[in-house]
Amino acid sequence: MARRLPGHDAVRGEAVEVRIADTSVRAYAEESIAAAALASGTRVLSRSLKYHRPRTFFCFEGHCSGCLVRIGGVPNLRACQAPCAGGTEVKGQNAFPSAEIDLLGAVDFLFSRGMDHHTLMTGSSMLNKLANKVVRQLSGLGKLPDHAATELPEVHRIDVDVAVIGGGPAGLAAATTTATAGRTTVLVDDQLRPGGSLRTDPRTGRTEAEARWSAATSAGVLVLARSTAIGFFPEDDGGVLAVSAPDRLYRVYAKQWIWATGGYVVNLPFPDNDRPGVIAARAVGRLLVDHGILAGDRVCIVEVPGVVADVTALAAALTTAGAEVTRLPLADVVGTRGRSWTTAVDTRDGKVDCDLVAVAGTPAPASEGPRQQGCRVVLDAVAGGFRVVVDDHGRTTAPNVWACGDVTGYLGPAAAAADGARIGANVVREGAP
Amino acid sequence: MAGKIVLCRCEDMTLADLEHSVSRGYRDIEEVKRYTGFGTGPCQGKECLAVVALQLARITGQPAAAIPPFTSRPPLAPTPLKVLARDPGAHVFADEGGTARTTRTQGDEVDD
Repeated sequence: MARRLPGHDAVRGEAVEVRIADTSVRAYAEESIAAAALASGTRVLSRSLKYHRPRTFFCFEGHCSGCLVRIGGVPNLRACQAPCAGGTEVKGQNAFPSAEIDLLGAVDFLFSRGMDHHTLMTGSSMLNKLANKVVRQLSGLGKLPDHAATELPEVHRIDVDVAVIGGGPAGLAAATTTATAGRTTVLVDDQLRPGGSLRTDPRTGRTEAEARWSAATSAGVLVLARSTAIGFFPEDDGGVLAVSAPDRLYRVYAKQWIWATGGYVVNLPFPDNDRPGVIAARAVGRLLVDHGILAGDRVCIVEVPGVVADVTALAAALTTAGAEVTRLPLADVVGTRGRSWTTAVDTRDGKVDCDLVAVAGTPAPASEGPRQQGCRVVLDAVAGGFRVVVDDHGRTTAPNVWACGDVTGYLGPAAAAADGARIGANVVREGAP
Repeated sequence: MAGKIVLCRCEDMTLADLEHSVSRGYRDIEEVKRYTGFGTGPCQGKECLAVVALQLARITGQPAAAIPPFTSRPPLAPTPLKVLARDPGAHVFADEGGTARTTRTQGDEVDD
């Protein structure tokens, strides 16, 4: 069972109350709704699109689709990126009558060997008509908002020497370096609080994330938190990056661009790897070091060799916090057990009882933004996915576009910070002001 | 739960679906995307693109570097339509006297 650890009250902020699935839950102002929900025992938040398999938290960094909920009458919001403001009304979605007991879950058993929608019910035209009627009722994600938007977000234009995308260790270091050298610098970060993987690793943690964020601000970097780069449009005035924030849209124009978007946590391929209770190891780390929440008492870590140092650090921190930790190589895992939450992992030799499975894969470079700007990427298993191709100086294949940190291949927080500082210095030296 | 190995959780795409796609002759990453629907959900491939591409390399026996990503298009993340509603140059639908018509917001970059 997840629980809040003592000694973290100062970072949690004031106590507030949120309503999750019609139940009042004690939460804290500095927590995300997902963290509060997990700590209060909420397990299933929604159901998947096709088989109606139970869905819940996985990445805790706003990139997967696990924690989509309806908040204050607005559908499809990520619970891990929503702050716990008092009185917030949170509901699950995509299930009948509720996410925990969804009758449509029968689809999963009826189609246990999979469903090929290309040939499903296409043999008879009468059956096909009926099937389409049913499918139209079942499919789709969430329901429309209760009310139309009354206030439209404002549009702001930002002109800078350097735009850094991503506020993790690499991005914060790069932006601090360019701003210190006198280049006007904006940094865009999509999380509730910048810091990226620094907030997930027991070797760095919340304190270091806050220190590096504050160093960037002191150096003069305009740090935009909760701001997501949503697209690069090369045809517009030399190229504009559109950035979406809760109350505004930024149009960012820059002379030099630095992508420091890091890597996304990924799941690993083993049977029933999507069962609630299987969450990213980095999310387990984030809950522990950033929120003071121990996500499970008996944690089973499923890992690949590329992240062994990170897993060793996480396992030690979890053990210190009072958890019992078992480490399993991916190749040994043959399944998971449990109903609404995982209770065991099946291995080649038997089974390991647990109340949480932490999946440690190599993070996949977040390179789809650089791709829009014309940067070449290459699929590389060691790098974790499609890494941005850079030269020794950090230049990508697109003019005036640079990349540093995990987006160029997995490095880990400390090495990513060093890389960010190095590339920031190169941009100052070689990039046209 | 029925022992499925899920590669794309947004669209419930499994390893068996990928193998089926390849067996039907859809083995290019864009074809696999269109045939199985992977990468078309709320995460837009953030969690699954690398995983599917690496599995595709293994199944088809190609070197990883030979597999390109699928095309990346805006928006990079789910975006409420209201965020774009006031963008200078964007068309805005206004309802005046019961007749919907298209107007433009004020913006200094609009020149057509």
